[in-house]
Amino acid sequence: MILTTWQRLKADRYGMGGLLIVSLFAVVAICVWIGLLGQSWSEVSGNRWESFSAAHWFGTNLLGQDILQRTLFGAATAFEVGLIVTTFSIVLGTVLGALAGWYSHGWLDETILWLKGVLDSIPFYLFAAAIAYALQGNRWAMHLAMIITFWTTTARIVRGEVMRIKQREFIEAARAIGLPGITIVFRHVLPNTMHVLLVQATIVFVVAIKTEVILSFLGLGMQDGVSWGLMLAESSQEVVAGHFGNFTAASVSLFILLMGFNLLSDALQDALDPRRVIT
Amino acid sequence: MSVAALNVKDLSVWFETESGRLQIVDNISFSIKAGETTGLVGESGCGKTMTAFAILGLLRASGARVESAAIEIGGRDISTLSAGQRRRVLGRDIAMVFQQPGAALDPVFTIGRQIAAVHRRHVGDGRSNTRRAMLDSLEQVGFGKPEKIAAAYPHELSGGMAQLAMIAMATVCKPAVLIADEPSTALDSGTRAVILQQIKRLQADHGTAILLISHDLSVIRQSCQNVMVMYCGRLLEVTDCQSLFSSPRHPYSAGLISCIPQISAVKPSGIITIPGRVPAPSALPPGCHFAPRCDRALSACVQSIPALETGNQRSNNSGVACFSPL
Repeated sequence: MILTTWQRLKADRYGMGGLLIVSLFAVVAICVWIGLLGQSWSEVSGNRWESFSAAHWFGTNLLGQDILQRTLFGAATAFEVGLIVTTFSIVLGTVLGALAGWYSHGWLDETILWLKGVLDSIPFYLFAAAIAYALQGNRWAMHLAMIITFWTTTARIVRGEVMRIKQREFIEAARAIGLPGITIVFRHVLPNTMHVLLVQATIVFVVAIKTEVILSFLGLGMQDGVSWGLMLAESSQEVVAGHFGNFTAASVSLFILLMGFNLLSDALQDALDPRRVIT
Repeated sequence: MSVAALNVKDLSVWFETESGRLQIVDNISFSIKAGETTGLVGESGCGKTMTAFAILGLLRASGARVESAAIEIGGRDISTLSAGQRRRVLGRDIAMVFQQPGAALDPVFTIGRQIAAVHRRHVGDGRSNTRRAMLDSLEQVGFGKPEKIAAAYPHELSGGMAQLAMIAMATVCKPAVLIADEPSTALDSGTRAVILQQIKRLQADHGTAILLISHDLSVIRQSCQNVMVMYCGRLLEVTDCQSLFSSPRHPYSAGLISCIPQISAVKPSGIITIPGRVPAPSALPPGCHFAPRCDRALSACVQSIPALETGNQRSNNSGVACFSPL
């Protein structure tokens, strides 16, 4: 399955473009984590609001910090938030959604649906602010707020898929060879939701990065470090003064990464669809 | 007398609904000896598949009520086993082949992996033994290159090949009893012959007892020693295959046989049908369920239920549930 998916993806030019963009940003993020790039993001290395030059490719900000360094560091922040939020919310959503779908219309399903309904009914930014307040500005408050609220979409999708798949004959066949229910869920039902999950993961990744930017802009996000959201927050004072360095660097990076992800997600959706024939 | 491979006593399946009890399978008993094939024949919706699922104990989740005096495999009653003990029996001592060839295989795993998983679960004697058993069982159902089939995904196989793979999966642990639910219905006649032939070969090799469920009398005629005719959840006639086709005793059996289209018929007189239709389980007629459609019906037929009398003059294993048999 992995091999045919890769072959199909390779044939999709836009998808490969998306993959290239995402990989580039990922490489930047890894380089930041291992200390090769973006280490002097907080260092004041020039004058206020320098224009772009050989020393400062993207210019400097209000404090004279190098915007390129901050943009690179921001990519790492975006990936950190994206990876953590995606991993946890997808796992949580998959497990809860699978349980709800397998035991649909039972008490467990009702409980999970109720929990999902409650979480979905709370305005997200209010909820993020409440968690940030409750955790006294802990740096993981933002991640936590996103994980707690983002699993519900995945759970809803997985629940529907599981309810559909459990009607199929191979599930009955799995029972007929003596597999217990919970084994069937993990060995035969969930692998059949893989294509949906992978696409959902790329979507959550995108939403997490976007949300981080908005939360940081509102002052509810990044605590130590810099992110594209914080850069945009800074630029709100600079733009009125006619300096667009921060604004352009952060928003263009965000745009390119999100576009790359969306292209990849679209292509994955097609490549993972088993009904499509390789042309 | 040897112990029957499969022995079902007084099996009933029903649903409790607000408007009353929906009887799906009504108190049926039968047994199959090792190495024999018994056909279960009847129109769609008469309870054939529900019988199979009830034997395997797969109806618990569906809300159906199942009751039986005993369901014995090789003398061991499996109806009283706990869920965990039953799971050790399913796939090892009794296995099932499903109707839709592709649908009973998980689309995301290769054939080989799925067959090996069954063997590993029930026998579990090491990776290389499991692989050999998997390839053996594929070879046994007639695949010349089992390695190639083992590496294939279900969607890469044709319907007939998928069904053969399904049979290989069902027989990898050499079960004593195999239930084949319409194993060839979805296939063309050439493939059907191959499937039936392979089932027969497996039976000859391992002495498997087979319950072959079909609405197709020609399939039954080709592959069964004994036949049970089912109608509205009841067995109307139990007999050996030869006598059913040469001299059916129940009017319904006779009707079914006369419905087989004859290619050689000299003068086509149109397709013969049994008048009326199968009643819904919510509106079963009293007495013999077939009485309203039967041209030999007596007044007794609508008043009381004719019992299936076994042990009559023709052979000790046949019987008919009728007040006015042919």
